[in-house]
Amino acid sequence: MTKYLFLYRNPPSPDFQPSPEQMQQMFAQWTAWKEKFKAQVVDVGDGLKHGAKLLKDGKVTDGPLPEAKEIIGGYSVIQTETIEQAIEVARECPIVYMPDSVIEIREMMGF
Amino acid sequence: MPESNAPGVAQHVLVDHFFRHEYGRLVATLVRLFRTSQIDIIEDAVQTALAKALSAWARGGVPENPSAWLTSVAKNNVLDSIRRHRTADKGAESELSVRAQDAPEPTDPVLWGEIADDQLRMLFVCCEEGLNEQGRLVLALKLLCGFATHEIAARLFISEDNVHKLLSRGRSHLKQAWSAREEWANTPKPERLSSRLQSVQSVIYLLFNEGYSSLVHDAPIRRELCDEAIRLGQLLLQHPATSTPESWALMALMEMHVARFASRHDGQGGLLMLEEQDRLAWDKAGIHRGLECLLHAAQGENFSRYHAEAAVLAEHCIAPTFQQTRWDEIVSLYEMLEARQPSPIHTLNRAIALAEWKGPQAGLDLLRQAKPPSWLSGYYLWDATHGELLRRQGAFEEAQRYWLRAIESAPTKAERAVFEKKLARCADGDASRG
Repeated sequence: MTKYLFLYRNPPSPDFQPSPEQMQQMFAQWTAWKEKFKAQVVDVGDGLKHGAKLLKDGKVTDGPLPEAKEIIGGYSVIQTETIEQAIEVARECPIVYMPDSVIEIREMMGF
Repeated sequence: MPESNAPGVAQHVLVDHFFRHEYGRLVATLVRLFRTSQIDIIEDAVQTALAKALSAWARGGVPENPSAWLTSVAKNNVLDSIRRHRTADKGAESELSVRAQDAPEPTDPVLWGEIADDQLRMLFVCCEEGLNEQGRLVLALKLLCGFATHEIAARLFISEDNVHKLLSRGRSHLKQAWSAREEWANTPKPERLSSRLQSVQSVIYLLFNEGYSSLVHDAPIRRELCDEAIRLGQLLLQHPATSTPESWALMALMEMHVARFASRHDGQGGLLMLEEQDRLAWDKAGIHRGLECLLHAAQGENFSRYHAEAAVLAEHCIAPTFQQTRWDEIVSLYEMLEARQPSPIHTLNRAIALAEWKGPQAGLDLLRQAKPPSWLSGYYLWDATHGELLRRQGAFEEAQRYWLRAIESAPTKAERAVFEKKLARCADGDASRG
């Protein structure tokens, strides 16, 4: 079994503001996704707040970098046999319904 | 580990439209605490609280009392943004002085003391005197029913831009200080409530009709508007000051319409006329509730348009068959309705009932006397009624002309399909009923 990190990327200021009814649909999609892949979803993860501190060469600046076209909005940890299976899990992740969102799938080294 | 797999964590499920209805509940509660003048901040705070709930609950599961969770998050959001605004306005202030000012302000001079329920009061607030009916409806759909701009636009068949405009006009009315409103200060309390109650009833009625009358292909979203109207109507019935006979009559007519909702469709996207409907498929419990409401409505002297409309529906609901309908009663109810609420549509309906009672010629005679306003003679139901009555008389050529016009201006496919069948029957020389 291999672990994969799903990084959810979206534009820095998404125009998409879901309505309450759409939120309820998204909630149902997440619940269904977690249930369907409960063997694969090791850690459903969390969302990340906007803004960051960047530490480089001992200096701290405010992030994300202004030129960033996407920011990381959240993450999950998935465990499957193959990358293809991980992609299948990602394909059904409710994040894909968010306009302009990208799921970056990264295999963990397993140190 | 995901919490859904953790032992001992109860997984609560959310009822349908939970987020949308919580939007309305939260706005109403926060308006009580922070006044309508803060409506922008309140709506933002509610939206943010719901978004937070979505991420937190999607990952960790729904808490035991989701409404309480949301109330406290939304309330803190409002306090935070008031604090931020103050800090931005006046420079840094000590946390302590901000807290003191954030205590709920004394209640507004109007309505606040008169109506205890937050959402019912909000419904009255949405019926601002300075707004027209569509403005009130849009405001209620946003603030009480939790629909977003694009959802309102799709439901009322108006542009999103238009909804935006109506909403911002509505919000700016809400933000005006209540104390500055002389019309309220100078009106005695009981009259204030009753004059606005009429606007509240007519907004609910309008909302219901948007759902019921527009027979668009998308039945579920139409039904949703009817359900919202009934939900708001129930708020009126739960409180002594607003549960007047008119409010009961309004609920009676909504219940009896909705009870026959499903039987209007043939299951293949087609529409069924009243006489084609399967009366056994009508929701008997709903009809019973409607008739009970009508009993409550019968108290007192007043006979409103809602009474008349509900009474017509009751006649249809209690008639064992289409043929056994008491058309004479219905004709006289439409007469009463016309007296209270003059409208050529009521005349049109009366003509249809009269034709059932005394034959197509009687109906056509009434229409001929009616002198319709110019918009009505181009109205598809006007043409359809003529087409049908003429067909039954065997005047097929004239009937066809009317049916062709009705088909041209029919707003939905479903109606057009019904009319085309009628047109074909004229071509076949078929004057029979049904």
